[in-house]
Amino acid sequence: MSYKIEIEDLNAWFGNNHVLTDINMKIRENAVTAIIGPSGCGKTTLIRCLNRMHELVPGARISGRVLLDGQDVYGNGVDPVTVRRRIGMVFQKPNPFPMMSVYDNVAAGLKLNGMKDKRRLDETVEKSLELAILWDEVKKELDKSGASLSGGQQQRLCIARALAVEPEVILMDEPCSALDPTATAKIEKLIRMLGKDYTVIIVTHNMQQAARVADFTAFLYLGELVEYGDTSSVFQNPRNKLTENYITGKFG
Amino acid sequence: MSRLIDIGLEQLSKLLFKMGELAEKTVSLSLDSYMEGLEVHEKVRIWSETLVALSEQVEEKAIELIARYQPVASDLRTIESYMKIAYDLSRYGRYAWDITFIHRRLDVSSTDCIFPSLPIKELNEKVKNIVQTSIEAVRRNDVGLAKKIGEIENEVDIVYYECLDKLVEQDRITTKCLITNLLFIRHLERIADHASYIGESIIYLVTGERISLRGRMLNES
Repeated sequence: MSYKIEIEDLNAWFGNNHVLTDINMKIRENAVTAIIGPSGCGKTTLIRCLNRMHELVPGARISGRVLLDGQDVYGNGVDPVTVRRRIGMVFQKPNPFPMMSVYDNVAAGLKLNGMKDKRRLDETVEKSLELAILWDEVKKELDKSGASLSGGQQQRLCIARALAVEPEVILMDEPCSALDPTATAKIEKLIRMLGKDYTVIIVTHNMQQAARVADFTAFLYLGELVEYGDTSSVFQNPRNKLTENYITGKFG
Repeated sequence: MSRLIDIGLEQLSKLLFKMGELAEKTVSLSLDSYMEGLEVHEKVRIWSETLVALSEQVEEKAIELIARYQPVASDLRTIESYMKIAYDLSRYGRYAWDITFIHRRLDVSSTDCIFPSLPIKELNEKVKNIVQTSIEAVRRNDVGLAKKIGEIENEVDIVYYECLDKLVEQDRITTKCLITNLLFIRHLERIADHASYIGESIIYLVTGERISLRGRMLNES
């Protein structure tokens, strides 16, 4: 197993607020890595640093390096748009483009990237919806508005949209927090399946979710990486007392 | 502020401590009575069955806690270890009961079969000691005591094999006495094994390390 992303001495700020401190972390390729920690610990900021979304916030800045296949995504001449195409993202609240059909939601990124061939578009949309385990549910209603789907289906549509542009890494920020247990179970199954072929990084408040889906788990507290290891060790026998106290609900 | 799971864990440890007290009493009575040739079969049977019932209560409570709270880390290790320890304590009771059954089944007095050359009294004392140590280790969550169990278990093994050798060497021994002694020392040795399992569970509970306390003597030789 090799590392897809290597985070080196990463620090992040919002204005004067220092939100991440000296993060060093190597993320395995084709595996699911979960980032857990209490609200405000910097989980979301950390993943937004990986695909250069952090810098979109006015006053936000970083120091350190994020290597994607050994190349710094913050290096000179690196196009953030290319980085974001290679590192896709799925957000907390399903956010399909409301005025677009199911089909167009998935095809939007491809069209933006200049794909015009209808047959290739059709094939990619179908493949992406299949990967997101949504195809069977929507194949007869591809023209229906994306916003008319259920919450769980909308989130899988967003995952299909992210997959359509063939990213190498998928970031997921609390992807199930707005979903019921059944929809959550489907997304969790999907995350595990995706982890075989993609590098998936998921931020979650739900520790049981991390325990269920992740191969590796990182615990972040007050902007620092406290513990990082394989999920079963972190949840059965954490090395750090802070991790122990957080995951057993003694604080947080 | 204590957590909801703490109430359940407290109930679980109370049940286990209750089992510990009863198990110690049961083994003690059974072993002493064997050495003195006293009839305690019925009493030990009732205590042994009570231990099994308590062990089932521990298991039910543990499963309930897992289902309700999805415990992790030390909480999960505590629940897993308590389930195992409850089973081991119930086995103490079962072997104690089996010991009281030997002379009834063979229609022989255990005291008639105790030979001076056989270090059976020593084995008996060591097993009582290991049982007490294991129960104290549970009560105190004490890794030091848990490791001591491993040492006593080695001593038990040494005396157990000595007893076996001595039995083989005995010229004039009736089949009934041979079987009586064999069964007795075998049950004692098994009780000591369960004490080791308890020690291992305590070490895992406290440190997260899975180590074996058993068979060190065999591995070292």
